[in-house]
Formats: sequence, C-alpha cells, structure tokens
Amino acid sequence: MKKTALALLFFLGLFSVSLAQTDTSKSSFVTPPRPVTDLTAFDSNNDHGHSITLNWTPSADDGAGAKSVISYRIMRATSAGGPFEEVGLAPAGSITFKNSSSIDPASTGFIPDHTDYYYRVDATTMDTTVISSSDIAGPVQSSGQWFNKGLYPVFWAVIIFTILTVLFVFVAKKGRDLYVRPLAGIEAVDDAIGRATEMGRPILYVMGLGTASDIATIASFTILSRVAKRVAEYQTDLIVPCYDPIVMAVAQEVVKSSYMDANRPNDYNEDDVFFITQAQFAYVGAVNGIMLRELPATNIYMGKFFAESLMMAETGVVSGSIQIAGTDEIAQIPFFVVACDYTLIGEELFAASAYLGREPLLLGSLKAQDIAKAAILVLALIGIILINFGVGQDIQWMNGFRELFKVTD
Amino acid sequence: MELFGIWIAALLTLGIYSFLYKDNPVYKATEAIFVGVSAGYWAVVYYFDNIYKKFWEGAVTSDNPDYWMYGGAVLGLLFLTRLFPKIGWISRWPLAFIVGATAGLYMVIYFVTNAMNQTASTIMDIVARNAAGEILWMDTLGTLVILVGVVTGLVYFFFSKEHKGVFGTAAKVGTWFLMITFGASFGYTVMSRMSLFIGRMDFLMSDWLHIIK
Amino acid sequence: MMATMATIATVVVGLTLIYVLYRTIKGRPVERRIVFVYIAFSVILPLMMQISPPLPITGDVLKVYDNIKVLQPGSKVLCAFDYDPPSAPELQPMAVAFMKYAFKHDLKVIIMGLWPQGPQQAQMAVEEAMLDPEVAAKNLQEGIDWVNLGFQSGNEFVIQSMGSEFKRMFPKDDRLVPYDSIPLMKNVVNFSNIDYVMNFSSGKPGTVEWVQIGVDRFGVKMSAGNTAVQAPMVYPYLRAGQLLGILGGMSGAAEFEKVLDEEGDASTFLLAQMFAHATVIAFIIIGNIAFFIGGRRKKITTPQVK
Repeated sequence: MKKTALALLFFLGLFSVSLAQTDTSKSSFVTPPRPVTDLTAFDSNNDHGHSITLNWTPSADDGAGAKSVISYRIMRATSAGGPFEEVGLAPAGSITFKNSSSIDPASTGFIPDHTDYYYRVDATTMDTTVISSSDIAGPVQSSGQWFNKGLYPVFWAVIIFTILTVLFVFVAKKGRDLYVRPLAGIEAVDDAIGRATEMGRPILYVMGLGTASDIATIASFTILSRVAKRVAEYQTDLIVPCYDPIVMAVAQEVVKSSYMDANRPNDYNEDDVFFITQAQFAYVGAVNGIMLRELPATNIYMGKFFAESLMMAETGVVSGSIQIAGTDEIAQIPFFVVACDYTLIGEELFAASAYLGREPLLLGSLKAQDIAKAAILVLALIGIILINFGVGQDIQWMNGFRELFKVTD
Repeated sequence: MELFGIWIAALLTLGIYSFLYKDNPVYKATEAIFVGVSAGYWAVVYYFDNIYKKFWEGAVTSDNPDYWMYGGAVLGLLFLTRLFPKIGWISRWPLAFIVGATAGLYMVIYFVTNAMNQTASTIMDIVARNAAGEILWMDTLGTLVILVGVVTGLVYFFFSKEHKGVFGTAAKVGTWFLMITFGASFGYTVMSRMSLFIGRMDFLMSDWLHIIK
Repeated sequence: MMATMATIATVVVGLTLIYVLYRTIKGRPVERRIVFVYIAFSVILPLMMQISPPLPITGDVLKVYDNIKVLQPGSKVLCAFDYDPPSAPELQPMAVAFMKYAFKHDLKVIIMGLWPQGPQQAQMAVEEAMLDPEVAAKNLQEGIDWVNLGFQSGNEFVIQSMGSEFKRMFPKDDRLVPYDSIPLMKNVVNFSNIDYVMNFSSGKPGTVEWVQIGVDRFGVKMSAGNTAVQAPMVYPYLRAGQLLGILGGMSGAAEFEKVLDEEGDASTFLLAQMFAHATVIAFIIIGNIAFFIGGRRKKITTPQVK
C-alpha cells in the first residue's frame, strides 16, 4: 500500500514537472531555423543607381520543416567583418529584397554608388533572440545605368513609328492626297449647323472633362475650329462651356482664329467660351441648365467624358437637339450611342480631326497609326501561329517570339 | 451641428432630385449652390496643395528647397499674361510645356501598357488544356472570341481603306463585337448609377429619417 | 414588421408592372416620371427589408483574395484612395473590408491619394475598421501600424515620382509629421520596398495610371477596386496579368466582404441593386414590346398600294 502511494506520488510529481515545462514552453528554447542559402547580391538592373538586389533560397523551415521562420532581417555592412546594421525586413516566403535609397545624399539610408557593401540575411523566429544567419554576400557595389535595356523593344517601336510619321507627313506636305474613309458623324456636322441656323437657335459645343494635354481634347480643338468657322460663316450663336481653365484659354484662341479665318473677326464674342467649374457634377448641372434655358438646336460633344455623359445626352434629347458625340472613353461611348444621333467611337474622334482639318501633320500621323495597327495585327497573327505550332515541340525561338513584345524592367 | 449638416445635405439632395419632375427654382438654386461651393472648394484645394505646400513650403521656406518649383512658379505666372491682351501670346509657352511634357510621358507608357503588353497577352495558345492535358472547351471558345474580336476590331479602326468586300465584312463583325462590348459596358454603368442612387437613399432613410438602421 | 410591409409593398408594385405592360400594348405608354417612381420603389423597399441575398464569388474577386492572403504579417501595403464621396457607395465598403482584413492580419498600411477627398475617405474607412472589436483589441498606432500620407496633386506624375522616392511627394503625413520621423516609413524609399498595392479608383487618375506607371514601369503587384463604370476599362489589364484581380462595383464589394467574412454595407445594398436591375430589365422588355407592336401597327395602317 505504502509503495503504491509512493509510486503514485512520484508519478504525480513527474507529471506536474512536465506540465510546468509545457506551460513555460513559450519562453523556453526554440530551435534555431535553418539559414537561407545561395544568397547573392548584385547591382539592381536598369536603374539610376543607389540600389542593390538580394536573392536567396528561403530557409528550409520557412513554410516547411519546423515552420518557425516569420521574417528575414536584411543586414548590411561596409566590411565583411561587420558591424552589420539592419536595413530592411522581408516577410516569410520572400526570395528577394531590394535595398535602395534616394539619390539625395542628405537622405536617410543613402547608398552611395561604387562603394563596397556586404550583406547577410537573418531568418528570424517568434523568439527574437533565436535567429539564423546566412553566409555573407559581397563585396557588391551599386551603380546607375544610362539605358533601361528592358525597354529596348519600346525604343525600336517608337523609332519605327516616328520614321513612319515623318515619312507620311512629308508625303502629305508634297500634296499627295492621303485617303481617309468617310465618317458619318463628321459629315453630319455641317447639316447640323445648317439646321441650327435655320431654326435661329444656338449650337452647344461641349469639350468634356479633359485637360489641354489629353489627346481627345486636342482632337476636339480641331473639330471646334471647323465648327466655329462654319458658325462664323452662317452667323449662328455658339456656346462653349468649359470645365478646365486651360482648355478654356485654348478654346478661346481656337474660336477667335476661326472667326478671323471666316473674315468675321468682329462677330467673335469672348463670352461665348466660358469657364463653369471643375467639379464634375456641378459642371453637368450647369450644362443641363444651359440646354433647357437656351434650347440649342445642335449639341456637339467631343472630348473626354466620364459619368456626366449620359446626363448631358439625356437632357439634350429632352430639349430636342440633334446630338453628335465623339469620345475615346470606352465606358461613355454606349451612352452616346443610345442617346445621340451620331457617335464617333474611340479613334474615329482622332481620325475626324484629320479628316476635317486636312493638315499634313494630322493626316501623316493618322497614316502612320494605320500602318502601326496593321503591323501589330500581322505580327500578332504570326505570333499566334508560331506559338501554337511551338507548343509541345520544344522550339525555343518560336515560343520566344512573344517575348519580343514583353516589356520588362 | 452634425444634425444641421445632415438636414442641409438631405434638402439639397431632394432639391437636385426635383429636376426629375421638371426644371424649377429649387433645382436652379441647388445647382447654383453646388457650382459655387465646388468652385470655392477647388480654389482652396489648388491654392493649398500647389501654391502653399509645393511652392511656399517646398521651395521658399524649406531648409532643403526644391529649386525646380521656382521654374514652375514662373511658368504659372506666365499663364496669367492671358489676362492682358497685348502680352497674352506669352501664355502659349507654359501651355506648350505642359502639352509637350505630358505627350513625352504618355508616348512611352501608352506604348508599353496599351500596345506592347496587350499584344503579348493576345499571342496565346488557342487550345486551352488543364494539367492532365484535357481540352477545356469553354476556355478555348473564350480564347477564339478574344482573337476574333481583336482582329476584327483592329480592322474596323483602319481608316486608310473603305469598308468594302472581305475587309468590309470583317469590319462589320468588328462593329458587332464593339456593340456587344458597349452593351455590356452600359449594363455595368447602369449598375454603377443604381449604386449611387442606393447610397443616397440609404443616407436619406438612415441618417436623415432614421427609418432604417 | 417594417421588413414584412416592405416585402408586401414590393410584390404589389411588381404586379402593377403588368398594368404598365397592358397600357403600353394598348398604345398608351406611361410617362417617364412614372418610371422614375418605379425605380425609387425598387431601391427604397429592398433597403427596408434589410436582407443580404445569396452571392456566388467570381474569379476576379477570388484572385484579389488569393493574392492578399499570402501576405505575411508585417508586409507593407500601399493603399491608393483615388475616389471622392460620389463613388463612396461602391468603393467605401471595399475599403472598409480591406482595412479590417489588413489590421486583423497585421499588415502595415500606407495610405495616400491622387484625389483630394481620397485620404479623407481612407480616414473614414480606418475609423470604421477600428470599431471592429478584434481590430480595437490590437491597439493599433498611427505611424507604426498605419499611416495616412495624404493627397498630392499631379496625377500620374505623382506615381512616376514615387517610383524614385516617396518622400519627395509626401514630405509629411496628414498629421504634418515629417516623413523621416514616421517609424513605419523607415526603410521605405520607393515601390521596391512595398509588398503590395491596393488601389480604389473611380476615374482618372486611378487604376489605369497605376497600371501604366506603377505596374509596368516599377513592377508593383497590384489589385484594384473600381466603380462599375470603370471596371470594363481595366479588364484588359486583368487578362494580361498586369492587375492581380478586380473588385467591380457594388457586387464586387459584396463578394469581397463575403470572401473576407466581413459583412458590411455592400452586402445589405445588394438586394436593392438586384431589384433595381430587375425593374430596368422589365421596362426594357416593355419598351421593346411597345416598339415592335408599334411598328406592326404602322405596317397595318399604312395604305397598301396594289
């Protein structure tokens, strides 16, 4: 009996000790994880310098094995013996890190070019004192490159396109007639202006929400020029409410020039082109008010439009105007298609400005664009054929055709 | 104070919605308030974020001045010459700078993002297969639709040739693809407009009238 | 009680559409203002029901989730808030759900905006996320766990400049604390020190500019939450792999809330969205019936010359 009791007590004591050990296991010994391997450090490619990239194979205990790695501490020193300072932290699972700095020498953590650095990656665990350090990589120096080699395909594409543009502009300037297919929306502009003159009602020209540097707005200026010239010849009223002050400034210039080209400089009224506001829905509220009060016979929407497009087009339908629209905003084209009488879809807006203006520069660039489109189409078709024949046949250069178009850093 | 703001917002919302019945003085007044407040708001934002933060704090009073801001300030002042007819032509120079700088930036980024990378993603295997090598018919059909859409869409936007014959047929197919896409986009946009209306109704019914939680 | 009454009212209003169809067939179409009233009812009544309908999760939303769930604690996420209050019904629920997820999973959030009201919307999202008990228990500190760098004008030029150095564009945060004094921004120089970008956008500047410059130029990994208007424009970038998932409109927001298990406004609003769409479809059908019947009537009444 006594022996049984003693044995029980002994067993209880062992059990209690093991429990106590389990309870305090959080602060007790954590096995150091296996370190990262294959650490390499090299100057970051295609940049302005002051940047070094590290690659490594993650610790075997990162997501596998003991699963104890929670992050990687990036350590750097100016000599192999140290002292090392922490320059970054990468989460578990990482295989790369870029240690970069500003180009400003006065900034914090500045990395001067052409200076030897040594790197080490420490795998850390929940216990901040338990880490494993990798081998040291270095010496490595950062330096800047003059050219981003990853953008060479873009470089050649831009060169070829520029040559094509210059060539066609030259041809256009020589007087050769460059064909542009007719666009229904633009052919309707003259009729619409005539209609407004007959009805004695003004023409509303809305240039959208773009800035003066947006391509759609620039195309709109050309069309405005044509419309303003016709308006000046027919002596109809023109209303041009503007969203952007700079666009207003340019539009005033354009309209004034058109009136002068039509030999009616005195008919030009600067108040015809005016600024409203740069708040989107406040702008459309004001334009809607103008439509309902002035009752224009023709509404022309050419430029960059956003959510306000349908609101304006709907109000134009209610006020009984004939509406011609053109925008490159894909999301707004459906609204113009349903609510307007004629719509220029996307690039047709840019083609319209070339079609109307007949300027060599516009015609030449339109032709170059067409050639570029045809080239992209042909090359894409060739690539599709090559890729599909290349699959499973291990023909590297066929599969590599696609890589020509991929732009990498 | 918050209750006052909610009431003002609710009444202005209803004032704008009164336009759905017909144009009326309440709508005109609300529209005028909206235009005026937004003009004032943007004037303050632009002054504070550009003239004060970037120029005054970033260049004039900074310990580490950004001298490029002085160039920007000069160009900005040149713009104001528009107000004086005799020297208004000077304002074309800063405008030329803005248009040129933006064109230069856009030339590369549009080429890369919208042309090169998109072309690369179009060059793909027509027949889609899973890991076991079985043909995925729906994915293959999807790939074919994309390819036909890209080709015929590009044909539609070719301006150097009239749409006749085979070319015209391809352009017609392209038009169909465009219209179907626009229809889907229209549906998406209707969803967006409804979402905005739902947000406003939620404001009126929960924050203003407390009808719903 | 209110939900029951709203349900009954919805059924009654739905049945009156049959009368509208009858009138249209008889050649007496209803006025446009009546259509507006139907749309109003189709939104107000479901809101009163307060029901979240069942919702399948689409692949685009799952892709966002798959990419954010691999982010380890301590990962730095740049949240670009490029929208204003008019787009808040669609984008704010996404933002709140993401903030809750980020804070619960110890992600470090760096907020900025290319729209002036964006960082303000972000602040509201953060405050709403902080009300979650699980997030509140973490006692998160601004400047250490998250920071709001504020708004910077310049559109895409801001992104371009951030590719070199964040500090140049954001010398101080919204509390006017200098960049170098923010603990979270230590060792964050540019995009190469950011693990992920989450963009909430309703227009320009927004997702398109982030893809053009942030992704293609500087190689950031990015997902986007967009309004339904903008979503179709950014789908080509999703297909090309430039974007890692899209949350499109209110339905995208509701799916995102569901996949993150964070019930929010979008899930509640979705029923109203569904009813509104059903009403629009009903009127499209009625309108087309009227169009075709009207066309047949004209053919019948037009004198036939023999």
